[in-house]
Amino acid sequence: MTILQVQSLIAGYEPGLSIVRGASIHAAEAEIVVILGPNGAGKSSLIKAIAGLVPITGGQVLLDGRDITTVPAHLKIRQGLAFVPQTENIFPLMTVEENLRVSGGILPRAEVGPRIEEIYQTFPDLARQRALMAGSLSGGQRQMLAVARALIVRPRVLMLDEPSAGLSPKLVEQVFARLTEIRRSGLTIVLVEQNARAALAIGDRAYVLVEGHEAHEGPAATLWNDPVIAELYLGQRRAS
Amino acid sequence: MSLQFLLNGLVNGSMIGLGAIGITLTYSILRFSNFAHGDFMAWGAYAALAVVGVLGGSTPLKPLSFGWPLMTALVVAMALTALLALVLDWLLFARLRARGQSIIVVMASFGASMALRNLLEFVFTSRPAYYSRAIQIAMPLGLGIKITADQIALLLLTVVLVTGMHLFVQRSQRGREMRAYSQNPALARVIGIDVDAVVRATWIIGAALACASGVMVGTLVQLRPLMGLDLLLPIFAAAILGGIGSIPGAVLGGLVIGLSEAAAVQVIGAEWRAAVAFVILMAVLLIRPMGLFGVAER
Ligand SMILES: Nc1ncnc2c1ncn2[C@@H]1O[C@H](COP(=O)(O)OP(=O)(O)O)[C@@H](O)[C@H]1O
Ligand SMILES: [Mg+2]
Repeated sequence: MTILQVQSLIAGYEPGLSIVRGASIHAAEAEIVVILGPNGAGKSSLIKAIAGLVPITGGQVLLDGRDITTVPAHLKIRQGLAFVPQTENIFPLMTVEENLRVSGGILPRAEVGPRIEEIYQTFPDLARQRALMAGSLSGGQRQMLAVARALIVRPRVLMLDEPSAGLSPKLVEQVFARLTEIRRSGLTIVLVEQNARAALAIGDRAYVLVEGHEAHEGPAATLWNDPVIAELYLGQRRAS
Repeated sequence: MSLQFLLNGLVNGSMIGLGAIGITLTYSILRFSNFAHGDFMAWGAYAALAVVGVLGGSTPLKPLSFGWPLMTALVVAMALTALLALVLDWLLFARLRARGQSIIVVMASFGASMALRNLLEFVFTSRPAYYSRAIQIAMPLGLGIKITADQIALLLLTVVLVTGMHLFVQRSQRGREMRAYSQNPALARVIGIDVDAVVRATWIIGAALACASGVMVGTLVQLRPLMGLDLLLPIFAAAILGGIGSIPGAVLGGLVIGLSEAAAVQVIGAEWRAAVAFVILMAVLLIRPMGLFGVAER
């Protein structure tokens, strides 16, 4: 069943200058959808627009059949759409626990504490670091905190912007393994990545975004060997 | 040399610190320097005067110079000052903030400051006013320091207000949201924080504390329409010295400024008092722009 549907989305930062140009993607329940594409293709802009952080001038975003195109960013999480930005995705001057607590604000008050304990069971490292300032965490731990923070409100769709950026291959493996685990609980994941090989390894389906719209779509397993990808990525694929 | 200046500095520093909390919050959350903040102090002080006038005079609770009417008036005036700030935000600041240029909001606060001051002068005239004419007997504390009952009461009030605010910002969900928003507005929206509610809380806290500070000045010194303007430089200096965004920093900054002013009056002469805040402000900006409790880069 399709849970997230984006139809011919047009969005941009300044009036008259569209960065996302008619992008259409969809994601089914418990699916991991990967969005690849060259630098500057508009991948970040696309998921930021879906999250409500970039003004949308055309097209539609449907969540579970409901039109959430014009819902303000702070209400989207209440509809079950969570977003982990690529950078600055934690509050550095708050402790790990405060990061989780402030993100649990939309839950009923009595549920926040128990939910944080559940999160600590899934992320034992964070439990040990609960009293540390989030800004003092290492890159991998920050990324885990950012994911944990998004999960605390039990979203239906989790969108992540390049969670592997700046991480060592070993950490990338850990973060992605965690995402695969999380998906088993029925969560839908939209994963924007530069690291095509790692992302396609855990993804079900993938899109290639070029110049603000999807140029290619296919099952993750076969996309890696698709000549179209080789062409779109040119040197990039060999490098990764 | 009399050590009385230590007490005077502590009392002045409390008023400056309470005012500086509002400056530091508006700066870190709404991202502009609110030059009308001093006038919130003055309006708060006069609002309390008006409420005392309505409630009618009554015998002071000896040895204090004031009684229940002023205490009631303080609470009412804090609410009224918060309302004033919310109305001003709705009329002026919110509209300009939406356009995203912080310098325009700062200029608007200059304009608002002048308008508020003139309005106050128009209604209450520029003659000094007093909550009470009761005479205070100062009690010796030793070491040549004397303290009045009013000073004790208002120092206690400061401790209560500052502790309360600090706990609110550190422990309550709204307080966490305020800190989160000041650190990263976009991420705050992503996690579901209602920005409008954060903005309202910021104005309410800043204005209510400004009012308390103004009532303190009115009780211990006198009320004048220019009282807020006179405190503007010290409260900005205190907020910047303490590190923008830090409530304990603002209070500590206020105490440092208050004590330095009192020491300057004692050692150099009263005419140098106003220069002290300026000198400290410049020194901080040149040596440690992030202040005592600030963080280098956000
Ligand atoms: N905040 C912004 N303001 C204006 N333009 C932006 C902003 N962020 C990105 N862009 C522009 O949008 C285009 C797409 O960027 P982005 O969405 O970050 O691509 P990707 O994530 O695929 O690398 C780029 O040309 C970039 O310059
Ligand atoms: Mg990007």
